[in-house]
Amino acid sequence: MKPTKAGQTVDLEPLRRVLEERFRPRDYREAQELVVGACQEAQRLFGWVPPEAAQLIAEHLGVTTNRIYGLLTFYADFRTEPPGRHFLWICHGAACYVAGAGRLVEFLHERYGITGQGTTPDGALTVHVFNGCLGVCDLAPVAQLDHHEYVGLLSLERLQALIAELQGEAQTEAADGSTE
Amino acid sequence: MGRLSDRRAFEQYAAQAEQRWETLWSGDRWVISVGISECSIAKGALETYRHLELLLSDGHIPGVLRRVGCAGWCFAEPFVEIKLPGQPPIVYGWMTTDRVPDLLDALRRGELRPEWALGVRAGESWRGIPALREHPFLRSQRRLLLEQAGIIDPESIDDYIATGGYRAFLKALLEMTPEEVVNEVKTSNLRGRGGAGFPTGIKWESGRRTPAWPKYVVVNSHEGEPNVFKDRRLLETNPHLVLEGLLIGCYALETQHGYNYIGGEHALALRRFQKAVEQAYELGLLGDNILGSGFSCHVRVRTGGGAYICGEGSALMYAIMGQRGQPRTKPPRSVEEGLWKRPTVLNNTETFASIPAIIRNGGSWYAALGTKESTGTKLVTMQGPVRYLGVAEIELGMPMRQLIFEVFGGLRDGYRFKGVQTGGVSAGPLREEELDVPVDFDALTPRGAMLGSGGFVVFDDTVCAVDFARYLVAFSRFESCGKCTPCRLGTPALVEILDRIRHGFGRPEDLDVIRYASKHIIDLSLCGLGQVAPMPLLGMLERFREEFIEHITERRCRAGVCPMTAVAPIAL
Ligand SMILES: Cc1cc2nc3c(=O)[nH]c(=O)nc-3n(C[C@H](O)[C@H](O)[C@H](O)COP(=O)(O)O)c2cc1C
Ligand code: SF4
Ligand code: FES
Repeated sequence: MKPTKAGQTVDLEPLRRVLEERFRPRDYREAQELVVGACQEAQRLFGWVPPEAAQLIAEHLGVTTNRIYGLLTFYADFRTEPPGRHFLWICHGAACYVAGAGRLVEFLHERYGITGQGTTPDGALTVHVFNGCLGVCDLAPVAQLDHHEYVGLLSLERLQALIAELQGEAQTEAADGSTE
Repeated sequence: MGRLSDRRAFEQYAAQAEQRWETLWSGDRWVISVGISECSIAKGALETYRHLELLLSDGHIPGVLRRVGCAGWCFAEPFVEIKLPGQPPIVYGWMTTDRVPDLLDALRRGELRPEWALGVRAGESWRGIPALREHPFLRSQRRLLLEQAGIIDPESIDDYIATGGYRAFLKALLEMTPEEVVNEVKTSNLRGRGGAGFPTGIKWESGRRTPAWPKYVVVNSHEGEPNVFKDRRLLETNPHLVLEGLLIGCYALETQHGYNYIGGEHALALRRFQKAVEQAYELGLLGDNILGSGFSCHVRVRTGGGAYICGEGSALMYAIMGQRGQPRTKPPRSVEEGLWKRPTVLNNTETFASIPAIIRNGGSWYAALGTKESTGTKLVTMQGPVRYLGVAEIELGMPMRQLIFEVFGGLRDGYRFKGVQTGGVSAGPLREEELDVPVDFDALTPRGAMLGSGGFVVFDDTVCAVDFARYLVAFSRFESCGKCTPCRLGTPALVEILDRIRHGFGRPEDLDVIRYASKHIIDLSLCGLGQVAPMPLLGMLERFREEFIEHITERRCRAGVCPMTAVAPIAL
């Protein structure tokens, strides 16, 4: 996932290509059925759904931008703001809860003011409390990092260490980026 | 390979697939299978796979490396099954990369490493390794849906066909009328696996009866509950089974419009089901004029993104139609007016997966499994500190005690059983002394518990009943779609009261307010979410009343979980 930094111009070309290749509705009904999928593609490409992308999808599928935003704000998974450099799902399913995930969620609230989802002030990390089961309860409490890597058997200390590590990493990455 | 034009072409194709399957297992090469699914990937199965690939690449071991799906034993992931020529396949658990070279070396020396073995796939134990089916986790299971789980490659339609796949669809399509299919499902007395337990055959019949076209058949693979992960495992491990069930459903409804709505988070399940659809199109098992029968069927996959309510039938249909997934009042029911205002049959993933066996073996064969009113097998997951965490498939009617303490191995060392939460966020818990109740659709209900989708949560005495109730109600509050007032305002009110109690500011009359408010929410909410949202709380209150009282009168939380602050809380 390549998060786009705020203010950066969005290159819509890749999205346009995907839309033209794979989102070709035969009628208005099918066009409506494809809206959510198209938004998911946009988020996969940009890390969030920038307004320009929403506009493009609306035009491509012949629906209003209003409609798009109605959906983007309805589903918890969509982001209408750019995420941090890393993305962390904290599982808040029942297995994780009985194994102590509640304390982790509380910590995120106390330390960063994050209730459902939010980004650390330095922009290093977006955390999303996953209201459901990530499906790997054996590792409870568990988090999923950047949509592929699992960090299991989390204690408060391990979570703090993980966040610190990601923040440090993000700083180096940011420094590397500026010298380019 | 082109589309198969008729039954004969299919039979020929199947015979070849069977031949290849036979050759694989009887050849003189090692057959090494690695379980790759979301649960095993989380534990490093991909690394294990790559490591094996590397070790095999030098040619010292003449081996075939395969990918298979999850076999339900999440507790032993990552697992590797190895079959040496002339020997039965042995399943090894906990095969992280560091153990891989050891295991291969040992096997080459002729040592079997029984301490890592889960069991041997054979009728009885073999050279000191017990038979797999005698493993405590598997001994009392009855596997129909999971029969091929962990054996076939979920991304190979050939594997599925070689092990008997798509024969049920062929039988329905070429030998039965749609009415006969519906009758067979009615005879089986199969009840919906998505939670409510409505008889599937009757739903299909109503769908057939509504005189409006086109009709739609939809699989509900949303699975957004916090307490269950069976549907995505099923899709990950045997997607063609669900697809075959859907095809039979479409045939029974005489429609060419099939859908699967999959929760957007279930990435691997989504990918594998999509792949299954593509493969079926390539072979001509989907598309126009399937096997020259005149019947056409098209399957579309749609996804949502993190809204539990989209699992509710009417909300799901709005979600597919690209609208906000909010429920509507009923009637009309979906079988009268569903997707695009047309008759729509919606069933759970597992419900569809149960169909092929019913068509193959007959409805009365299926009806003989389980209990009289709850026939067949059910996938169940058990969360919490149990020994054998994973997905099990049991005949309905098994006592809860056996399920927890035998199949799932009881609690891990150091944990003491306190209760088991049933029905996810839709019902209440059971205490130790109630565990002899059979796990089926009806027996749990009078106790305020519920089979639901089959996800149970065992909790121990480090979990506080008040706090856990708060968690379960807060889930519903968060997921409330906000369409109707009792649910939108009622669930936060319950959470607020519970927070007050958790912080030590509870009042004795709070317990009455809970009951009173709950009644309103239950009676007046528009959809299933609100109608059951207070159930976990009422159940906890009934079972662990003394804990609630302790919090209120003594400001004491015996589990030591609740904050009990000096100042009253502000609602979050
Ligand atoms: C809030 C809510 C969420 C639901 N979520 C699911 C779900 O994720 N999967 C599912 O199969 N059924 C879910 N259901 C039940 C469905 O409404 C519907 O009854 C079911 O899919 C019908 O299939 P079945 O008869 O095969 O069980 C949910 C119901 C409610 C009220
Ligand atoms: S009960 Fe809750 S979830 Fe259901 S329609 Fe009303 S507000 Fe929405
Ligand atoms: S509850 Fe967290 S992974 Fe299942």
